[in-house]
Amino acid sequence: MENNVLVPEVETTELYDSGLSMQIRNLKISFDTPKGEYVAVKNINLNVKHGEIISIIGHSGCGKSTILNAIGGFTKPAKGEVILNYKTVKGPGPDRGFVFQNYSLLPWMTVYKNIYEAVDSVLKDKTTAEKKETVDRFIDAVGLTPHKDKFPSQISGGMKQRVAIARAFAINPKFLLLDEPFGALDALTKGTMHIELLKLWNMDNRSKTIIMVTHDIEEAIFLSDRIVVMNDGPAATIREIVEVKLPRPRNKKDIVHQEEYVKTRDRLIGLLMDKVSIEDYK
Amino acid sequence: MKALELKSFSMRENPLIRKLILSGLLTERKVASTTSPRVVAISKYTMRSIFNIFKSIFYTCLGFGLLGLFWSAVSSISKGELPGPTATLAVLWEMVINPFYDNGPNDKGIAIQLWASVVRVFYGFGLGSLVAIPIGILIGTSDVLRKILYPIIQILKPVSPLAWFPIGLVVFKSSPTATIFIIFITSLWPTLINTALGVGSIPEDHKNVAKAFGFSNTKYLFKILLPYSMPFIITGLRLSIGVAWLVIVAGEMLSGGTGIGFFVWDSWNGLSLEKVISAILIIGTVGLLFDRLFTFIEKLVTYGK
Repeated sequence: MENNVLVPEVETTELYDSGLSMQIRNLKISFDTPKGEYVAVKNINLNVKHGEIISIIGHSGCGKSTILNAIGGFTKPAKGEVILNYKTVKGPGPDRGFVFQNYSLLPWMTVYKNIYEAVDSVLKDKTTAEKKETVDRFIDAVGLTPHKDKFPSQISGGMKQRVAIARAFAINPKFLLLDEPFGALDALTKGTMHIELLKLWNMDNRSKTIIMVTHDIEEAIFLSDRIVVMNDGPAATIREIVEVKLPRPRNKKDIVHQEEYVKTRDRLIGLLMDKVSIEDYK
Repeated sequence: MKALELKSFSMRENPLIRKLILSGLLTERKVASTTSPRVVAISKYTMRSIFNIFKSIFYTCLGFGLLGLFWSAVSSISKGELPGPTATLAVLWEMVINPFYDNGPNDKGIAIQLWASVVRVFYGFGLGSLVAIPIGILIGTSDVLRKILYPIIQILKPVSPLAWFPIGLVVFKSSPTATIFIIFITSLWPTLINTALGVGSIPEDHKNVAKAFGFSNTKYLFKILLPYSMPFIITGLRLSIGVAWLVIVAGEMLSGGTGIGFFVWDSWNGLSLEKVISAILIIGTVGLLFDRLFTFIEKLVTYGK
């Protein structure tokens, strides 16, 4: 049986020495459907270093969110494994801060409470005063202090996304998993949010590893160290991993004129849009 | 509109008046003839609201008026066998002005009878809710428990609660307790089913938040499960108390002793249809009040939409 192919055990020392924080090994995810097994992604292999920002980019339905869900522990792999900090992922856990596609704020709680409950749940050893201080600090970091007593229904999409990001950062996770976090925002708000995200990442010396799913090429280049480009599904695989060699800190206004930026963008467009040419319509 | 003007220049500076202007209840208008440029007046919005309230009251009165006419007509057709509105209202008035008298077991004031019923409903309904809500939560959470308990519930639910009365008598050896018991049984089903429905429909998104941030079971119960299900639970309670109030009348007709149901039966035995109809009006009014109370609570617990 294909599912039972043994994946060689990882030498933990190997991970330590290489400075890797995450390793995806031979990952395959499939779902049972009435028509039989539907393979979403397969043969996914990826090594991620501490403090790296990785974007996974691809067309709709290429299984990029599926991979993120597997890292988050929400989806069980049919084959292979995700290793975070030398341990195979068995389920969701607070070592990963997840920013959901639709924000997933609890509508009956204020902005403050939404973050507080997560902090209270994860940082159990801290005193109430310390927890409150943490919540206040992160609300302030995303500029929501004037809105902290509002309910999710009373704030804009951009603000909701800020709350979701602040909540994910506030529990001080090793990993941040962002599922199309800025997909529903307008271009201007998106730009501000990118800066907010990098600000939070810088706040603890770029020690957090960030994995982000997106379908926005410019966003991926601006934020990432490496960009994982997916093939189209079903049974999607990694097409290519594109390195973004732009130095940090990056400036949105300037980088677009740099040769490296143009080169990277052209490469990504080439990988993602090769099928869309005039001939296709004839 | 001139008559409605609250005029006076200084009044506009009054903080209360300012607040009312901001909320749109009052409005400022220019008046050409006066030296003071503006005059405070009742806004069109307020006028329309007041007019609408009067309109509703008028239609309600119209409805009752038509019912009264119909009732009088039926009464005169039956040649007085069915008492008419005037005779009934006179008896109702007698009952209402002296509600607390107590002339022995078969002759008590209407308030005493009503109170006996309300207390029974609250005991039965309270105990029923205490059982129904936890079981509903369990059924909504666990697939296995749902599969085990649902068939039993589906068989018991359509049974008239009165069928449980003999069992209550055997178990409790007391007819008032047996009446509470049937109210208890009645109150179970709507609350239980609505709670299970609410808990079962918690969106994956909310559950994922709990998983991603490692919520303990207690935190999940109080911060996600209960807040999400509360509107469903309250709807269940509202339906439960409605049915309980329906059943108490029949229950007390069986059990006798005290209560509004017993009062109806006793009035029938005493051949006073005026009292029976008066009791019907009172039962209906109290039922309406229960319903309104829970509708109000429902609104309180429904989070910002």
